[in-house]
Amino acid sequence: MRQATPLAAIAAVFAVEAAAGAGPVLVFPLYLTIILLTALQLSRAESLATAVLVAIAIVIPPLVRADQPGDIATAVLLAVVLIAAAVAIIAVVSQVRQKAATAQRRADEIAASEERMRMMLEAAMVGLALVDGDGKWQQVNDRLAVILGRSRDELPNLTIEEVTEEADREVLGEALGHLRSGDIVRWEADLYQVRGDGTRVPVSVAISTAPTRTSGQSLLLVQETDISPRKRLDGLRDCMVGIRHVIVSGLTWEQAVPQLLGGLCSHLDLDLAQFWAADHDRQALRVRHYWHREAAGFEAFREESRATAIPMGSGLLGRVWQSGVVAAIEDLSRVSDYSHSDLARAAGLNSVLAFPVVESGVVIGAIELLARHVREVQDDEVTMLSTAGVEIGQFIRRSDTAQALRRSEADHRAIFERSPIGIVRVGGDGELVESNPAVLSMLEYDFEAMRSSAWPDLLRAYDQAAARQQMAPLLAGITSGSSVQIRAATAGGKWLWLQLTATSIPDSNGRPEHVLVMIEDVTTVRETSDQLAEALESQRNANANLEKLDHTKTEFLSIVSHEFRTALTGIQGFSELIRDGGLEAEEVRAYGGYIFNDADRINRLIGDMLDLDRMESGRMSMRSGDVDINEVLSEAIERASTGLSAVEFEADLDPRLPIVSGDRDRLIQVVSNLVNNAVKYSPDGGRVTLSSRGDGGFALVSVTDTGLGIAPDEIGHVFERFRRVRSGAAQSIPGTGLGLTIVKQIVEMHGGRIWVESAVGHGSAFHFTIPLAAEDASPLQRRHA
Amino acid sequence: MPEPANQGGTNLFTVLVADDNDVAQRLCKRVLEKAGYSVIVAMDGLQAVDVALSQRPSMILMDVAMPGIDGLEAMRRIKAELPTMPIVIASAHSMASDTDRFLAAGADKVLSKPFRLADLVAIVAKLAQEKKVQEKVQDGK
Repeated sequence: MRQATPLAAIAAVFAVEAAAGAGPVLVFPLYLTIILLTALQLSRAESLATAVLVAIAIVIPPLVRADQPGDIATAVLLAVVLIAAAVAIIAVVSQVRQKAATAQRRADEIAASEERMRMMLEAAMVGLALVDGDGKWQQVNDRLAVILGRSRDELPNLTIEEVTEEADREVLGEALGHLRSGDIVRWEADLYQVRGDGTRVPVSVAISTAPTRTSGQSLLLVQETDISPRKRLDGLRDCMVGIRHVIVSGLTWEQAVPQLLGGLCSHLDLDLAQFWAADHDRQALRVRHYWHREAAGFEAFREESRATAIPMGSGLLGRVWQSGVVAAIEDLSRVSDYSHSDLARAAGLNSVLAFPVVESGVVIGAIELLARHVREVQDDEVTMLSTAGVEIGQFIRRSDTAQALRRSEADHRAIFERSPIGIVRVGGDGELVESNPAVLSMLEYDFEAMRSSAWPDLLRAYDQAAARQQMAPLLAGITSGSSVQIRAATAGGKWLWLQLTATSIPDSNGRPEHVLVMIEDVTTVRETSDQLAEALESQRNANANLEKLDHTKTEFLSIVSHEFRTALTGIQGFSELIRDGGLEAEEVRAYGGYIFNDADRINRLIGDMLDLDRMESGRMSMRSGDVDINEVLSEAIERASTGLSAVEFEADLDPRLPIVSGDRDRLIQVVSNLVNNAVKYSPDGGRVTLSSRGDGGFALVSVTDTGLGIAPDEIGHVFERFRRVRSGAAQSIPGTGLGLTIVKQIVEMHGGRIWVESAVGHGSAFHFTIPLAAEDASPLQRRHA
Repeated sequence: MPEPANQGGTNLFTVLVADDNDVAQRLCKRVLEKAGYSVIVAMDGLQAVDVALSQRPSMILMDVAMPGIDGLEAMRRIKAELPTMPIVIASAHSMASDTDRFLAAGADKVLSKPFRLADLVAIVAKLAQEKKVQEKVQDGK
């Protein structure tokens, strides 16, 4: 078309010239019009070519017709003018055209850019939008409309806050305020928004201030991403973590189950959870535990569920029980295979999901989860719930076992803690592992002191006592539980009788692992029985003593009466003879002598007996003073020598012998008695030796004779009362039989000692010791007996 | 039965006094001789057994508490040899229980010391009378 224009122009020019033979007046406007049109339509070169051609075309007729050079010149001039005009027109037109083209190009570019932007906005995977100062949605891309579940037409009537969940509104409002005031230029957060259907959608929001060309209106650029998949994965993961956390928390099943059900609901965005347990006889599933969010209608649903028993294979739960597979009804309004579908929907629950609780490969129950919103169930959720079902099943079993163990442990612990009997647990090496309060209060120790000091003592005492009873020591693995009684002191120093009963507790291999020892305070029992035994013993002793005393008394009485009657026999008999008369004067005198002697003997007997009684009863007073033993001995020799004795006396006295402490008269009595005995039992011509010497803190005095001597069977009895040596030649020697008994008493009262050495036919030696006076002997030595 | 050496005549009644107490011995000897009996003495139990067996007195007046063997042991030994020998225990052990004890041990009579002289004489006289009756019975045969 454009190409045809110059040809048409040329044709037009020729046509006009030919038809009218018009002059330049007509040709000129026509030419300029053609040139203008050409310039507007064609490029510059084409326009110029056209202008030249048209100018030639205009010039040719005149040239052909021109006869005169003038005409030719005119024609040429005309042509030049025309071309010049054409060039000018073309230049102007070209310039105008160029400008218009540039403007057009720019406009085209802008349009293209806008289109691209729009395309990008629409195609973006993120939701994008602008909101105005009031928070109203201005421009919303499709994605955002999808995320928000609302039409793009609807959105400009809503604010960003209106489509945000109530809980997140405040923080959003605050952020918008900051953005508008310019405090911040960008704000990012994860929050929930409310979709058109009322469901919540988790979104990641980034809001930034948009650059504004027109002042007054501040726009915010909102960028939103649906993070449901991420949230869901997080939820699944958190859910599993939560379940495991509860499982390992050490709670019992009963304590854990509300947490488990609540955790499932919160992590998986559900509203109600119920644990259905299979009956013992596996006839039906029944609700054992439940959890639900606060909402109207749930109570009724729960009550209905509690009253329901679901047979195996029946409905959703029955199928889960039977198959052991997770099952769900995503939208209850569309399916009727749910036992209380109507009730659930009445309670506002629209989606249900159930998974089996499996223990050792057996489905022991199912957990039913319900949500108000229609809820899509994904494969990974099914996997997670299957896993959770197995773990919960194991937990139930462990919990049952643990609960039984705990109950048993609690029982034993209570026994251990509250038992009035002391109980300790002893390790294999005899160390105290544990001790109940009864032991500690019994022995008044704290555990540490008990463990470190008191227990080792008890253990030793036990082993010693056990050895005495020919039992095994404590750690030898006693199982018989035999008891041992030991004496032990409390921390307060109180002595107790403890009865220890040990029982060894074997480990799983039957080897003794530790020993339990029951410790009873049997002090009262023991002391009572001891006291009883003591009382009995003392009673028995008293009785024996009484018997002995009685016997001694009887014996003494018998001996004394015998002595008296023997003496009286002579007195009575001879006095009777004298009384009856008819006797020679010689006879009377002799008989009077007998009577006197026996009477004297009785008198001495009475005197000795009274002396002895006073000494033995401790009523004899001793006048203690300094006594020179050598002097006493010398005087005794002197006295005995004056008699008609045919015995030779000899003194062997230590001149350096210190003074002794004692009662002089009594010591004289001792020496006289021994000397008299020596004389009495010595034949004529015999010798009696008195000797003295120091012996430690004592003075040692010996009275030795060469007399009859004492038989070995009698020597042990010479100091006993009425034990006179009567054998052989000694039988006729008079005496009261109390002399040596009295001597022994006196010596012992002085703190000394008396003994006798003798050989029959060779004589006897009586030795006694008397402590030296204080200045010559230490008190310690003086007490030597 | 051999005749005792010093028992030749029927009137001669011999009493063995066994007593370790010199005074008691003298008293008995004096009283019994005055009463017409013959008296021999022993100073202790063993001597009493010796004299009794060797001299065969008509009777024995025996003390109990003597050195060596006591009167009861001496009596047992004598009775073993001479079952019919009359033995009178004369003891200062003179409680009732003692008397029973002596009789149980085989004593014919018990005389408690101190004694009335008449009692001593009566006991001896009674035994002498019994012996005489016994001899008459034997003679009368």
